[in-house]
Amino acid sequence: MASASVACQNWAIATTSEPAVGASPTESVDRPVLGASQRPFRRSVETAIVGGVVGGLSVRLGIRPRWLRAVALVSILLGGTGLIVYVAAWVFVPRRGESISIAQRVVNDRRESQIVLASSTILAAVLVTLLVVGHQGVSSAGWPVLVTAVGLLVVWRGSSPAERIDLQAHLARLPFSDTGSRPWRSVLSRLVGGVALLGVGVAALSPRGLQSTNGALLGVGAMVGGFLLIFAPWWVRTLRELTNERRERLRAQTRADFAARVHDSVLQTLALIQKSAEDPAAVIRLARQQERDLRTWLFDEPRVAGATTFSSLVDQLARDVEEHYDITVDVVVVGDIAADDDVDALVAAGREAAVNAAKWSGAASVSVYGEVETDRVSLFVRDAGRGFVLDAVAADRRGIAHSIEERIRSHGGTAVIRSAPGSGTDVELVLGRRTTP
Amino acid sequence: MSERPRVFIVDDHELIRSGIRAELGDAVEIVGEADEVDAAIAMILERAPDVVLLDVHMPLGGGQVVIEAVAKRDPTIRFLALSVSDAAEDVIAIVRAGARGYVTKTISGAALVDAVRRVASGDAVFSPRLAGFVLDAFRPALDVEAPDDVDQLSTRELQVLRLIARGFSYREVADELGIAVKTVESHVSAVLRKLQLANRHQLSHWAHSRRLLG
Repeated sequence: MASASVACQNWAIATTSEPAVGASPTESVDRPVLGASQRPFRRSVETAIVGGVVGGLSVRLGIRPRWLRAVALVSILLGGTGLIVYVAAWVFVPRRGESISIAQRVVNDRRESQIVLASSTILAAVLVTLLVVGHQGVSSAGWPVLVTAVGLLVVWRGSSPAERIDLQAHLARLPFSDTGSRPWRSVLSRLVGGVALLGVGVAALSPRGLQSTNGALLGVGAMVGGFLLIFAPWWVRTLRELTNERRERLRAQTRADFAARVHDSVLQTLALIQKSAEDPAAVIRLARQQERDLRTWLFDEPRVAGATTFSSLVDQLARDVEEHYDITVDVVVVGDIAADDDVDALVAAGREAAVNAAKWSGAASVSVYGEVETDRVSLFVRDAGRGFVLDAVAADRRGIAHSIEERIRSHGGTAVIRSAPGSGTDVELVLGRRTTP
Repeated sequence: MSERPRVFIVDDHELIRSGIRAELGDAVEIVGEADEVDAAIAMILERAPDVVLLDVHMPLGGGQVVIEAVAKRDPTIRFLALSVSDAAEDVIAIVRAGARGYVTKTISGAALVDAVRRVASGDAVFSPRLAGFVLDAFRPALDVEAPDDVDQLSTRELQVLRLIARGFSYREVADELGIAVKTVESHVSAVLRKLQLANRHQLSHWAHSRRLLG
């Protein structure tokens, strides 16, 4: 539920505030104009090879991207700083046509920031462990690798939908990817690369290589890398197919449920309504019943879930009375508890009162209000009908006195019936609660 | 305010709009209608009606968007939410966005006209169902021993809400509690204000518990 709404929000951002990438009239074009520096600094879209940082920089400085690329490549290959600067720019500089950076997007989204934070912590823990183990190679290359990994994680979680699509297209063009147009080539290059890595691994793990910890680590790393290179795409594809299949099955299930509901209840009711077109009371009753059913189905489903509760009993009461009498029952219930003998008795008494209103009051509707408080459960039944003089009725119509008052009293509650000719009837039923939730 | 309130209708179903027009009849002056969010905002701001009748269930949470956009630029325009039947969360959300009341579409023509008049004159209109939703929304706070919290409903306000939820009209509530109708109205307005100001955490706790509680 929560994740769905988050996804919607992201989508809304993507469709409303970033509709035309690079087309914003206030921003400069996405091509360097030689010798002319342009503001603001934005990562480029069209000339991007990875994150569009260098392309953007060339636009900002008015330099041919070729030279910048060479400088960037060298500084990255020399390790450390160049890589960190690149990843930092990727994360903190907004893409052309977008108003916020990847970092900002992640920070804005609580779930994403938690994911990134948790993953970074694990990565850092791994690195620290390696440092403690005292490995030489790790200490010099470790921090840039960690920062880069965290940066890429942020990019992966926080890039805008538009950027993500472009990145996926880039990935698909890599030789190792099998979504490209020539699958045999990707399989071949993966196999060659994987076998080569495995070979390196075997060599490094041979007795001679094992003399240094360096060799052992390199060997394990190469073996894992080789296996990943060969089997990862297959594994990913299987996983994706499984997910798709499950989603498809769920969708079919939902559709079937929906069709069944529409057929069994809505279409049937519509047919009944057509048949009883000349009986307005019946039409109203059918429509109300259907409305109540649909409402329960749409909004209350998670609450009821098969269990009998106070509110479901009151709803049932309303449905029954409407079905048998020509009256509308308006139900409002606040709070809820599981049904027990007391609750059953309370609702039964309320039903009596509602039936009474339906039979005698002449009103078009009766209001039923139930409330669950910490120490008691109350049910109020009220109509604005003709009313009656209590004492005059009590003698011959024992129904009210007995069914309602006795029922409630025997469960330790109170029943108050107020009525006067011309001003409707008000029945208040209150039961103390024995158990607190 | 003139005798006949100027009313604007926002609903994405033509059938419902014509139904509302028929129900309201000559009692109000209908200055326009719209079936989608952007057109609604522009036309409402241009025509400055007294009351906007707004469907709760516009696509993409549209009702709230309309209220917020209009209220930012013209806070004198009032909103009355109208719906077939909705989840409590949606109704509370639209009232918190600034609607002065909520009635269901099954309301009779006379009652709808009365509700429009009330909203036009600045009062709040609580149907029994809305009163129930509000009581429900403030309930988790009622269960615990609440410290001096301005967000809490007073005993009197709770009494008024309970009577409305039971189906009492404002006049009947006034008679029952021995107070003036004006006082009932001011209690209801106070509840509305508290609902709009209530802290988000409290209400999200409520929304959450609604899904969990059986």
